[in-house]
Amino acid sequence: MRRSEIQHGLGMTMVLISGTMLFATLLMGYAIYRTSATAWPPMGTEPVNVVLPLLSTLTILFSSYFMHQTRVQFADHKKAKMNLDTTLCLGILFMGIQMLFWNELKSSGLLVGSGIFSSVLYGFTWIHAAHVVLGLCSLVWLRLVFKPATRNLDVKLLNVEKFWHFLGAVWVIMFLTLFVL
Amino acid sequence: MSGGFNEIHPEPTTFWSKYIISFDHKVIAKQFLWYGIFFLGLGGMMALLIRWTLAYPGVPFPVIGNILFPDSAGIVPPDSYAMLFTMHGTIMIFYAITPILIGAFGNYCIPLMIGARDMAFPMLNMLSFWFAFLSGVVLLISLGLPLGAAAGGWTSYPTLSTLIGQPGLGQTLWSLAIFLFGISSTMGAVNYVTTVITLRAPGMGYFDMPLTIWGLWLTAILNAIFVPVLGAGVILLMLDRVFGTTFFLAGASATAGNGDPVLFQHVFWIFGHPEVYILILPAWGIVSDLLSFFSRKPAFGAKATALAMTAVTILSTLVYGHHMFTTQMSPLLTQSFMTLTMTISIPSAIFFANWLGTIWKGSIRFDSPMLFSLGVVFVFGLGGLTGLHLGTVTTDLYLHDTYFVVGHFHYTMAASVLLGGFAGIYFWFPKMFGKMMNEMMAKIHFWGTMIGLNGVFFGMLMVGYGGMHRRIYNPFIYESLQRLIPINTFITLSAIMMGAFQIVFVINFFYSLKKGPKASQNPWEVGTLEWTIPSPPVHHNYDVIPVVKCGPHELGNPNLKNGRDFQYQTEELVQG
Ligand code: HEM
Ligand SMILES: [Cu+2]
Repeated sequence: MRRSEIQHGLGMTMVLISGTMLFATLLMGYAIYRTSATAWPPMGTEPVNVVLPLLSTLTILFSSYFMHQTRVQFADHKKAKMNLDTTLCLGILFMGIQMLFWNELKSSGLLVGSGIFSSVLYGFTWIHAAHVVLGLCSLVWLRLVFKPATRNLDVKLLNVEKFWHFLGAVWVIMFLTLFVL
Repeated sequence: MSGGFNEIHPEPTTFWSKYIISFDHKVIAKQFLWYGIFFLGLGGMMALLIRWTLAYPGVPFPVIGNILFPDSAGIVPPDSYAMLFTMHGTIMIFYAITPILIGAFGNYCIPLMIGARDMAFPMLNMLSFWFAFLSGVVLLISLGLPLGAAAGGWTSYPTLSTLIGQPGLGQTLWSLAIFLFGISSTMGAVNYVTTVITLRAPGMGYFDMPLTIWGLWLTAILNAIFVPVLGAGVILLMLDRVFGTTFFLAGASATAGNGDPVLFQHVFWIFGHPEVYILILPAWGIVSDLLSFFSRKPAFGAKATALAMTAVTILSTLVYGHHMFTTQMSPLLTQSFMTLTMTISIPSAIFFANWLGTIWKGSIRFDSPMLFSLGVVFVFGLGGLTGLHLGTVTTDLYLHDTYFVVGHFHYTMAASVLLGGFAGIYFWFPKMFGKMMNEMMAKIHFWGTMIGLNGVFFGMLMVGYGGMHRRIYNPFIYESLQRLIPINTFITLSAIMMGAFQIVFVINFFYSLKKGPKASQNPWEVGTLEWTIPSPPVHHNYDVIPVVKCGPHELGNPNLKNGRDFQYQTEELVQG
């Protein structure tokens, strides 16, 4: 392995460890709220409609697939670039669906201040979305430097890819715990 | 992997790129040093205001009291008092100790002592400082708000820290500042860990690293893992305060399920206990090295010291519950946390014994860095012992939230880290600035600080044992505590004295910076890598990356024949 690969890989590993701890803390809190509540969702609150969250899960999973393809087809620069563009579009689509979801929550009468149930729904998805925005920024940056001549392009791609998969994985866990369970 | 990315970066030429957005780890280290010293002064002033109130309740603070509190004729009012102890704790921990010990020494020592030309990610390093700077600005702004800064204690427990306890913007800005600081710390940690793993000079195994580097490295690992936990906590706190979520609010929002104020305490201490070790590990490392350097003999059991520090690092993640014995935890949990807490004593005792073993029969040179290091041995030993009283559930139930706790953590954290930090400053000042500090003034500074801080912190242990609670504006409205007024006065006088002696340090520091005699390459006669290059080092540190052939503590070897009693790490170990 090349030096830059090891160095940047290690740096990204540390970043992902930090990110994992952040979301793990949130999920720990959720576990405590869930187990100490008498009913979840609380009495009088309708369960949320999972259609939009399911859509966003599929979107982010597909985007992860295309991100992966970008590296698989790295040798063919044109194809790789197309995959990267698709990833970026799907990432933006994900954010769009999240906004629709927040709107839907709001129009169903579940406001941010309606108690711990809605606090978790809004708060956690916001925090995740904020990280997706960071992820999108890194994708845009990668897209800008995505030229065959760029130094260590494969290393850059690999690290952005890891970060993007991480965001996808966090979302899948959130989807399963907040909406399915 | 040794060797790494050691290219020579071009030297910056403009003022802006040289001193402001510098990528050079030596410049960033100095930026952190100025930053930390500034906040150390501010936090120290706050401490004096707090102490004055406790010793002379209802008496105006001399000289500046009337400027700060015109409405109360110079007397510290109760709400400002709460603000003062909150900001004192926050500033000292996050804005003074962290930048000096981790920001300044971490940045300065890591590349130099492992033989690298810079950090692994110089730009990230620069960003780390500027995030810290931004965070400091946010915190300072919060001091000037009409409703005042945060006042819920440095631990910011809800409900004190929710909108109910703190309607003003202060607590929100506090959370924001801490969050920004967390980003800065995490960036630094990513950098430090990667640098130590990938950029060690050829030949330098992990056990050839100076113990300073071990301490900083373990600290960085803890930082990367646990600072995000606090990050999550303060984000949720901000959401509660700004958007009306109820993560930490119970009761009032009974309609739709409840938040949980105690959850914040868990989150805070899952971070908070590792944090106290984050702060002390660099000081332990520095002291472990300096004791050996100034005793002119190898560090006793250096490998065991490194491993014991690692064991403490690991154990420190498992004991946070000892801060929460009084939160109606189940006895099974309190007993478990107590047992784990006591387990930390084992590795702590190992390296403490190693420290004593290092100075035992050494030919000790009582230069100022050594005096401060010996000071650390004394105060840390005392502070560690008080931890046992607090770690035991039965005694902690009485001592919790008294000044005994305050005394405990000031001994372990404030005193040890402060003295360790001064030891480091006196030791590396010649390398950093190429000038020597005045030894006489340094010694005066040491004795003033040492006597002063023991007066303060031992006094705190005593009044705490006597039943005085922490964080109370005027404890002496309770008849049972009135007998403690004389000791409190003594504590305050000690604090004023200690504060006064810091002026000696400041004068010495700035005078030496300008007028100090020129430092030689190796004024302390030690063999670690940073002393093989000129003081101050050139921009890229090493013209040729050194090759390491022996450990960092090769002093007093009887086989040495060249008139020196130490050898450089670049020299083959001399054998008989
Ligand atoms: C010898 C091992 C130690 C033990 C057994 C120990 C035990 C404890 C316990 C049980 C408490 C909670 C007391 C209470 O609130 O009732 C406590 C508080 C504290 N300790 Fe230690 N400690 C040890 C070492 C340290 C070290 C090395 C540091 C810092 C470098 C430290 C810093 C603190 C701080 C900051 C607090 C309290 C913070 C607060 O409540 O505001 N301790 N310690
Ligand atoms: Cu603790």
